[in-house]
Amino acid sequence: MSDDANADTGAAANTAATATSPDDTAKVSVDSLGKTYASDRRTVEALSDVEFAVEDGEFVCIVGPSGCGKTTLFRIIAGLEDATSGAVTLDGSPVTGPGTDRGMVFQEYGLFPWRTVAENVAFGLEEQGVEEPARSERVTEMLELVGLDGFADAYPKELSGGMKQRVGIARALAVDPELLLMDEPFGAVDAQTRDMLHGELLDIWTETDKTVLFVTHDVEEAVTLADRVVVMAANPGRVREIVSVDIDRPRERTESEFAAYVERIRGLIGE
Amino acid sequence: MSNDEVGTSVALSETEADERLLDRLAGFSAEQTGLAVAGFAGFLAVWYVAALFQPTYLLPSPVEVLAAFVVELTAPASLSIPFTGAELPATRLLVKLIQSLYHYVPGLLIGTSLGVFAGVAMGWNTRVDSVFTPVTRLLRPIPPLAWIGFAVIWLGVNHQGATFIVAIGSFWINFYSAYGGVEGVSEDLKEVAATLGVDDDWTMIRKVVIPAASPSIMTGIRTSIGQCWMIVVAAELIVGVGVGYEILNTAQNLAMDVSVAYMLVISIVFLVSDGLFRRVERRVLEWRA
Repeated sequence: MSDDANADTGAAANTAATATSPDDTAKVSVDSLGKTYASDRRTVEALSDVEFAVEDGEFVCIVGPSGCGKTTLFRIIAGLEDATSGAVTLDGSPVTGPGTDRGMVFQEYGLFPWRTVAENVAFGLEEQGVEEPARSERVTEMLELVGLDGFADAYPKELSGGMKQRVGIARALAVDPELLLMDEPFGAVDAQTRDMLHGELLDIWTETDKTVLFVTHDVEEAVTLADRVVVMAANPGRVREIVSVDIDRPRERTESEFAAYVERIRGLIGE
Repeated sequence: MSNDEVGTSVALSETEADERLLDRLAGFSAEQTGLAVAGFAGFLAVWYVAALFQPTYLLPSPVEVLAAFVVELTAPASLSIPFTGAELPATRLLVKLIQSLYHYVPGLLIGTSLGVFAGVAMGWNTRVDSVFTPVTRLLRPIPPLAWIGFAVIWLGVNHQGATFIVAIGSFWINFYSAYGGVEGVSEDLKEVAATLGVDDDWTMIRKVVIPAASPSIMTGIRTSIGQCWMIVVAAELIVGVGVGYEILNTAQNLAMDVSVAYMLVISIVFLVSDGLFRRVERRVLEWRA
């Protein structure tokens, strides 16, 4: 990789971003985002000029091969990492660090093992200063939403992978975030459970009207879930194309339309 | 919704746990208990026979030790309460044991609190870590008992001197277990907490770091509960009170049966305190897989 050339592109992209104002109507706007990891000997460009917007209430999936920087992108939107150039804005304000306006769901669940299911879901509410009984009511509401009422007092060790991720979703939604950010949330569960969780997630999405940004490497998963799919390419990580999936839900994998989308996206990725 | 999946998984884990416990208890009562009893009986028999051919001052027999134990346990003595001048009726063994507890309990509490505090501080903050690492490396290899000279000149030949030695011993054990535990807390959990609104160090330490490090911290406390009984005996040899001193003092008078009886006291209090703490640990770490 030619480092100098890339650095130049990054600088140019940066100027462009300040010149054009971000999309004000969008829920999330990713503008000319670049990320370069520099060490003593070499620099690696993880993301280059990534640009897309997510509308309010939209379900957007980000797919791409490994090494396309989708997890880096997820972490920058989450505020867990800084961008080298460009910006992410949520409701018009720039993201500068982690915050409860973005509810995060992680592949490895990230549950606090010393807390029961209910206590996990209550964590963010405690930080927000929500007092009892409002807190417990909210927790109960969330557990009902994900179908885990009756497991409030169980510890994470007692749960299956699918159940753990339901807790993860309930915990992220409890603080009523503007955006639900999910990084390969169903990557660690078996295929059957994954199918079930897809249906449940779409139900939750419909019920809560949340905006969802969902990172996956699984093209079929993206086509099952998304309104639009941001297809990324690697070296450096960049947006190859944004595909609108115009199929009515629930979508069946056996439909020819479904297969056509999957094929098209796979073609873009180069699988 | 998948309540089937949900229900079976929990039901299974509960039955599994029950079965495993039953298996263990059953296995324990059948073979292991038998072997343990046989091993202990064998030990007593060898000891008894060996003692037949030796005078008590060289090797007291188990029967003599038991007799001495009963005498010490029942012989009346008066217990002076520190700082008050009051005297309470007790027995010789109880007086010695309570004297040792005066060293053991405060020493353990002080050393454990300071050790956990220092371990968490250094494990959490890399700058604090960098500042104190050379000093801890330098001081760590020094055995607690080496400080006895300072304990005596600073605090005198008394309870505080022995307490000081015990505190040093438990400090290091707890320092390293807390330090390791905090260093091992996964970045993921800290990031999850940050995304759920934790934005200051103190909340992060209190709500994430310490609970996540608690298995390691609890192991440190349990280790120091045991180790401090060893240290207290050694410290008391010098400060001249308590069970530890009694072990030496009686031996110097060739009352070996009494000396061994006091050794037995150490074993018993160790087993009791370790057993009690294990129960606390199981309760506190109930969430662990």
